[in-house]
Amino acid sequence: MVFIPPFVPDAFLSMYLPAIYAGLIVGFIGTMAIALKREEIHILILTDLVGLAMIFVVSAVGTDLAEALILPGLVVELAETLAISEILITREMRIIEQDPRRNLSKSSSLFPQPFALNMEIMTTAPNFIALVLVGYGIFLTGFTGGAVAGGGIVLYALSKKARGLPVLVLDGVAGVSGIAWCLWIIGFLLFFVTPQYWLLSLFLAACGLLLKVASKVGLIGLLMREDLDKE
Amino acid sequence: MIEVQIFFYFGIFLAIVGSIATAWGPGVNDPIIRTFNTEMASIGVCLVLLCYNHVLALLTLLATTVIITLILFRAIIRLEEMGADV
Repeated sequence: MVFIPPFVPDAFLSMYLPAIYAGLIVGFIGTMAIALKREEIHILILTDLVGLAMIFVVSAVGTDLAEALILPGLVVELAETLAISEILITREMRIIEQDPRRNLSKSSSLFPQPFALNMEIMTTAPNFIALVLVGYGIFLTGFTGGAVAGGGIVLYALSKKARGLPVLVLDGVAGVSGIAWCLWIIGFLLFFVTPQYWLLSLFLAACGLLLKVASKVGLIGLLMREDLDKE
Repeated sequence: MIEVQIFFYFGIFLAIVGSIATAWGPGVNDPIIRTFNTEMASIGVCLVLLCYNHVLALLTLLATTVIITLILFRAIIRLEEMGADV
């Protein structure tokens, strides 16, 4: 017996089987390519394909549940890619340290040349756009707001660093993350203990998630900092 | 009036062709070309999400695709300048 909720539109029902089969085909192609490749960086890129297959299968549900499941899936995939790329780089550095005859060549970076242009729009526009992004992110709250605000923080840091200016380094980002977890857990607890304060607990959870996601995206900006540090 | 189903099946087509191109396409031994081919499959997924009205998921997919591309480029450049076999 197949249980179909009554609020699923008819058009989505006819799209269910093709989406599931497409997800299976894409996942099969991705895993086959992973099995045939031996270099780790290629495997890391091909992991993206398996993530896309996951999105296909989840989105075939077609309700708000699908949307709620896709968001954490994407973020977990992002964190996984970040962690594995760090591991690959660290391992390669360890191999070089063990064999000192192979010296590091003169390094290039993601942004090879610092901007030396002295135009007014270079100083004012990134500040304004970052301010608007952070303000709009705080207004949105929740997951999306965190992403928007974090994007604003990253844009600010990148635009200052690309011109060779010092960036204000905030220590204790991990502490902000801990406070965000506490807010989230308190909000979740209040939902069950005192359901009449649901608005308060909703906003506690939303603001906690905002802090958490914004600091996570800001962390990615900090990680890019070492690439931008070169003159 | 163009049917929504056309975009849906075109998205599926793009995703499958893009994944085949990522796996066995021309010149994929260069990791940068392989990364670019992944974008094609993700555009297909974007079309499918658009047909399902998943706006938040679509926006998050776009944002994470950009960030993942940056991370992968950083890893590829670092590994190549250290002389690893990529």
